[in-house]
Amino acid sequence: MSLPNGPIRQLLYRVLTRFWAWRENAKPLPGGALPSRAPSDNVMRTMNLVMPLKNRTAVGRAEAVMAIAACLDEIYTGLDNVGTVHVARFTIVDDNILMFSFYDGDFRTYIRDFIMTLGHAFDGIVELVENPPPLPCWRHVDEFIEWVHERDALQLPSDPGELAKLVGPEMTNLEDLPRFLAVQLGENRNVQLGAYRAYPGFSVAQIRRAMEAGW
Amino acid sequence: MSGVELSELQGNVLRGYRKNVARHIVARVRDAAAARAFLGAAARGEGPLPVTPGTDWGGAAPEILFNVGVTYAGLRALGVSERSARGLSRAFRKGAVSAAKTVGDYGCSAPEHWRPFWREADAVHLILTLHADDAGALDRGEAALPLGGGMEKLGAEEAAWFAPDIVHFGYRDNISQPRFRGFDPKGRWDDQPAAPLGVLLLGHPTGMEQISWSLPEPKVLGLNGSFGAFRVLEQDVEGFEAYLDSAAETLLGSSEADLLLPPGFEGGAEARRAMLREVVAAKFCGRWRSGTPLALSPFDPNPEPPVSDTDFDYSDDLDGVRCPMGSHLRRANPRSAKIVQRVANHTRRLVRRNMPYGPEFDPANPVKAERGLVGYFLCADLAAQFEAIQNDWINIGLQDPRITGANDPMIGDNDASASWFDIETKAGPVRLRGFPSFVRTRGSAYAFLPSMAALRWIGEIGAGSAAA
Repeated sequence: MSLPNGPIRQLLYRVLTRFWAWRENAKPLPGGALPSRAPSDNVMRTMNLVMPLKNRTAVGRAEAVMAIAACLDEIYTGLDNVGTVHVARFTIVDDNILMFSFYDGDFRTYIRDFIMTLGHAFDGIVELVENPPPLPCWRHVDEFIEWVHERDALQLPSDPGELAKLVGPEMTNLEDLPRFLAVQLGENRNVQLGAYRAYPGFSVAQIRRAMEAGW
Repeated sequence: MSGVELSELQGNVLRGYRKNVARHIVARVRDAAAARAFLGAAARGEGPLPVTPGTDWGGAAPEILFNVGVTYAGLRALGVSERSARGLSRAFRKGAVSAAKTVGDYGCSAPEHWRPFWREADAVHLILTLHADDAGALDRGEAALPLGGGMEKLGAEEAAWFAPDIVHFGYRDNISQPRFRGFDPKGRWDDQPAAPLGVLLLGHPTGMEQISWSLPEPKVLGLNGSFGAFRVLEQDVEGFEAYLDSAAETLLGSSEADLLLPPGFEGGAEARRAMLREVVAAKFCGRWRSGTPLALSPFDPNPEPPVSDTDFDYSDDLDGVRCPMGSHLRRANPRSAKIVQRVANHTRRLVRRNMPYGPEFDPANPVKAERGLVGYFLCADLAAQFEAIQNDWINIGLQDPRITGANDPMIGDNDASASWFDIETKAGPVRLRGFPSFVRTRGSAYAFLPSMAALRWIGEIGAGSAAA
């Protein structure tokens, strides 16, 4: 007999995944792009920064809209000066501010250059977020970088073999993959499933140069 | 000098010693109290082997020069509290093994292939560096260390100076180091804009608007200290020379040879081949093997009248026709050249304290032996300077779209099946391919070079006055 997809079934799933997580000693995996030796994997990398709001009401979301709008121009100028950012999007989804970006090179260098270029502009945004980093961000650069890293979504490989290696390195039977995945998603609630690139392997500056848009 | 007393710095931070030989003894703390007592006394100038400070010693250098680098695990083993040690930056705490992929230590350069004592992240606590004019003096210095007492020796890296300032691959080195604001140099310094002290020392302005690197608590632990990426880099000298042979041979049979040879070059096939070898070597490096910078002398390794070794920039060589954008020198320090990361010019300077190891290579009598370069790359922030250079500039080549996707031809993580290097000419780029990695990492550690005051403070931990 199968249970209906109602509250009891969901409760059962929660209990089960917590039990599995306890049994497997599951831990959150670090988010962000994985290191790679290939130069082409080191450009157009993705960051999916998820920042839950402190105030989870429409008022809180309105505060976030106002804070982002107030510094958007400065952020754009900062990103321009960083020079390695293809795209950055600021979105509110439910009660989270999302900053999703495509960037080139080392993640920590990107975030360091970003916050150093921006100065105070980002402080007004992160003030509204749960467990904000030490402020001002630019005075606590190391802490800010790690704060962003901890909120950068885990990137899941689409290949089942690679996925199994990531979420269940001790797994002996691929049929257990859904269980290991469920356990890991209990630890990493936000994940990236894929990222399409129309021009893989090219940096921002290479594209701007080819388009004669200056770099 | 403004802002800092030289007597408070370790001597190897702001100047090179120019001694004949060096020995870096890699050690663990075995008895914290005994190790602290030795370091504290040595920093006070007491005992048989005092730590060499930055003070000018006039005409006569001490016979043995001694300096200390401490890893994060070393600070903890010496009794520095986790809270204080963690205040010294994440990159330092994580260490060189953890940073291997960031800095391009893949394949045979990966930590599992390093010398055994470098492999374990927390095994190395101290790098005890001795400089002297002969091996006997190094031995006397080593005998004065409490190895077998408070410290345990894990291994050592030996180095020796080659006259006249030659390093493996045959280039003249020791040409310049960053010049610092407020510091009156006596050694060989460059003609670039003087760097703020915060490029090298903690607790000083960095040159980036409003930014200063954080100091731990107590501040004395960090103030006037520097971080060092200690690197043991094996150089494949025979492989490098063999590649120059093959590149010259390929170019000799092509129409591109005349684009690369000096205008009006006269000589037969052998002379052209020999010159093309040197042109490729110079383009790879950014200097001729004589040390002459391509930026000032693109066609002549020994111009008359001579040109400056240091007073040049790339801002007037936008297309890299004189010095390729991908050359080692220009990658590691693009000076004022236009780069993608507009805020990064002049902010990622490193002070190099390296010497060759292994026997000098004689092409007429090639002897198989391990050869390389060993020592420190010093800076105030390992992630913002050393790792950013290694990851984004030496490898990947993000600073200029014309080299993105290619790694440094001399020290990059190269694979002969994919490597390329463009030599710009007025008629367009000449592309060289097929070179392997010429440098292999054999060991590395991130060390902190504390100030003399910090070493004295460490020496007093547990004595009542110092709260570790």
